[in-house]
Amino acid sequence: MRRQSKRKHARTFVGVLLAIGAGGAALAATTPASAPGAAPVPAKAAVAAKSSAHLPGYNPDRNAYFGDLHVHTGLSFDAYIFNVRATPDDAYAFAKGSTIGHASGFNIRRAGGPLDFTAVTDHSEYMGSMREANDPNRPLSKSPLVQGLFSTDPKAIRAAFDKVVSLSHAGQMPKEFSAPDVAGRAWTDVKEAAARNNDPGRFTTFVAYEYTSAPDGRNLHRNVIFRTAKVPTLPYTSTMSNNPEDLWRTMDAWRAKGIDVLAIPHNSNGSDGLMFEQTKRDGSPMDRAYAELRMRNEPLAEITQIKGTSEVHPSLSPNDEWSNFEIMERYIGSNHPVTKFHGSYVREALKDGILMQETKGFNPFKFGFIGSSDTHNAAPGSVEERNFFSKVGRSDGTPALRGSVPPNGAKEWPADTPDSAHATGPYQAWGASGLAGVWAEENSREAIFAALRRKETFATSGPRIRLRFFAGYDFPDDLAKHTNLVHEAYAKGVAMGSDLKPSAGKAPKFLIWGVRDPNSGYLQRAQIVKGWVENGKAREQVFDVACSDKLALNKTTWRCPDNGAGVNLATCEPDRFKGDVELRTLWTDPTFKPNQRAFYYLRVLENPSCRWSTWDALRNGTPPNPTLEKTIMERAWSSPIWYEPKA
Amino acid sequence: MSEASEPPRSWMRRLAREPLLRFLLIGAVLFAGMTLAKSLQRPVVRIDAQELNQLAAYWEVQSQRPPTKTELAGIIQDRIDEELLAREALRLGLDKNDMIIRRRLAQKMSFATDDAADAGEPTEAELRAYYAKTADQYAAPARVAFQQAFFSGDRPHGGAEKAAAQALERAEESGREDPTGDPFLFPLSYDDVPLPDLLRDYGTEFVKLLQTAPIGAWQGPVLSPYGWHIVKVTARHQGSAASFDSVRPQVRDAYLNDRRKAKNAAYLRDLRARYRVVVAGVDK
Repeated sequence: MRRQSKRKHARTFVGVLLAIGAGGAALAATTPASAPGAAPVPAKAAVAAKSSAHLPGYNPDRNAYFGDLHVHTGLSFDAYIFNVRATPDDAYAFAKGSTIGHASGFNIRRAGGPLDFTAVTDHSEYMGSMREANDPNRPLSKSPLVQGLFSTDPKAIRAAFDKVVSLSHAGQMPKEFSAPDVAGRAWTDVKEAAARNNDPGRFTTFVAYEYTSAPDGRNLHRNVIFRTAKVPTLPYTSTMSNNPEDLWRTMDAWRAKGIDVLAIPHNSNGSDGLMFEQTKRDGSPMDRAYAELRMRNEPLAEITQIKGTSEVHPSLSPNDEWSNFEIMERYIGSNHPVTKFHGSYVREALKDGILMQETKGFNPFKFGFIGSSDTHNAAPGSVEERNFFSKVGRSDGTPALRGSVPPNGAKEWPADTPDSAHATGPYQAWGASGLAGVWAEENSREAIFAALRRKETFATSGPRIRLRFFAGYDFPDDLAKHTNLVHEAYAKGVAMGSDLKPSAGKAPKFLIWGVRDPNSGYLQRAQIVKGWVENGKAREQVFDVACSDKLALNKTTWRCPDNGAGVNLATCEPDRFKGDVELRTLWTDPTFKPNQRAFYYLRVLENPSCRWSTWDALRNGTPPNPTLEKTIMERAWSSPIWYEPKA
Repeated sequence: MSEASEPPRSWMRRLAREPLLRFLLIGAVLFAGMTLAKSLQRPVVRIDAQELNQLAAYWEVQSQRPPTKTELAGIIQDRIDEELLAREALRLGLDKNDMIIRRRLAQKMSFATDDAADAGEPTEAELRAYYAKTADQYAAPARVAFQQAFFSGDRPHGGAEKAAAQALERAEESGREDPTGDPFLFPLSYDDVPLPDLLRDYGTEFVKLLQTAPIGAWQGPVLSPYGWHIVKVTARHQGSAASFDSVRPQVRDAYLNDRRKAKNAAYLRDLRARYRVVVAGVDK
């Protein structure tokens, strides 16, 4: 994949923007009050002057910015094996709305408009080695390992991937694949692309990488994100240590040298209970120092991405009717089934965390939420159901490969079609999911990184659903009707990701607000997920708190009536006039006990819509795979607010 | 058959006197001689000192120590075997119709042409001319400052549009008081926002109104994906072009990319002209 291909597309896109700009300019010139370069009209002069130090779009009450903090390019060993040749520049071009090439030869582009920020997070292990192994002018191409590594055949690709992963797990990858000069060239490309594409006020990039630890194949991957261009000479990789505690200590050392950084774990669903195990990695008991080390370095968790959603598992939360969402029950990178769900899902981890806070006085699992794609196609935000090409290059680049159309060009599904637990590949169980939302004053590295740090973040399953979530004791009862409610909520309460101080007898009120994505469905219900400690046990409950279509909330069951929204599976058209543009309410917790430690997070559900596999089938003129869900309910999750009864 | 009546001897003699046959005979003798000579001179497989050193060095990188004599002999034997097999495969034409070999050759050729396309640093004049052609790429987008009141699309029976129209009327009458509508999750007042952001978040109708509305007067109502709005534009900033000096590195990158792409395309065009391409089922 050569770089020049993206130029033309970038220009096309900028051309569109310019057309808008030029229109504005031409019209402005006809209006005396806003001649080019003139000061703004007097009424706003004071505010404008004060904000001149800020970037365009600055908002003291913060804007929602959407991005992807988990993106692989051809610099990742696996992506390269999957035939992906796209560069970090291509990834940023895609994020900004340009068209790039897919490994399978077709063009790809986001339908829902550009993203606001992106971090390219290539695997630090063997970073950049495969492109050199495939370049006859590089010594690495003479390595015997290279034999058969770069096939275009999906079966041979799988074999090549398995070969490298098994060598890697056995610690037997030839050393030259981790040579500092090879990694150094790749890391320079990563840094330079981030610098070239960072455009404060319009588009933010981060220098970043993925630390790819998986003891015995149990996933402990995390993305490491740097705040500024000041980064270490080379990444700290899992070949140096696969114990994340060593990564965090290294990050502490970087921070001491002025290199600010945070890590975001992902795919706890593929960790087989390891990601949120309740001991240190060596099996010894956790302590306060461990909890502080972890939380200092990992304020967030990526709870949804293409390889499944890790919020909650049906077996852990049998009373949550919406828990069965894009569940993926295999190890990462192999077909090994996951058997330990406890320790693999974030709701359970949050519960374990507050219980530890109660019994031991520290909480190692006090994290906020984001989503991201984990695309290996250098395609940030490619998580749109009707525009989905999955994520591992040529391996799942066609509907047949990802199990959404019948095999061998058939028109019907064979009776023995395997379900996701038995399918040859994992791809049919993967979801078109994972977008990161942050609340920041402006679109800059500093402002967005600060939002990540204070957990004022939310995750979505792909759409740009915007969520506001505040808690406080002194909100006026009609706050949800005030036009300046956000300003008041910041002044009188705390935002998502924060601690709520001990109550002086009053139950907290929660301001809940979700707004739909114009390119996606209407909203059906807003829910509060509460976890709390009672009699030495962590418990949970899901409360519907706002219903669409003016439906009345049942305050005994805390459920909205069914709004009856459906989808025509022949066209994927949703029913008209169902669901709301926004759900907004002020909710008081009726079960609140001042002495009970608790957390609350907001979950907002869309009306049902076609899953990507149904869209694939529709375009192919064949029925959807009978073993898969035909529709899903897209959703968004806020970071939690923790109620801390003792100061 | 008509010559069957002639005596066989005279027919043979005539044939022997035929110059073409003589020529062919002499040719056959020469060919046999050359083939014999060729088979006496066998082709050579030569591993030179440079390659030997390279083989030993790769081995050393992998094993972290130099090879022993026996190991070196093994490495050399492997290399010779590989060469023999490869040459035999070539002799038997096994490289024909092999997708992997074809791809590899094509890739090597494209690397070579890519390098050839790198024809040195562009001149200042070339860069300035290129910038003049593509300046629009580097322009900052137009921005706008405005206030708005919002009337939620969730209001029943089209109530939002009516409420927006009434609020606009009141605002025009009073001329001073800012109208209030429903709470809105987006800012009700933007100091300085790029139009492309608004296009993405509110849609074309909304942006069109912001581009055309007179400064300082409430306008609308206009429909967005969320409901109805009335807006008052307070300032517009036109998009500005970036100076050549501020974007020189980007211009250079783009210029080199464009030039490489053009040269590669031209090379392929020339190549194509040297071949007749026939594709089954496709008429010329």
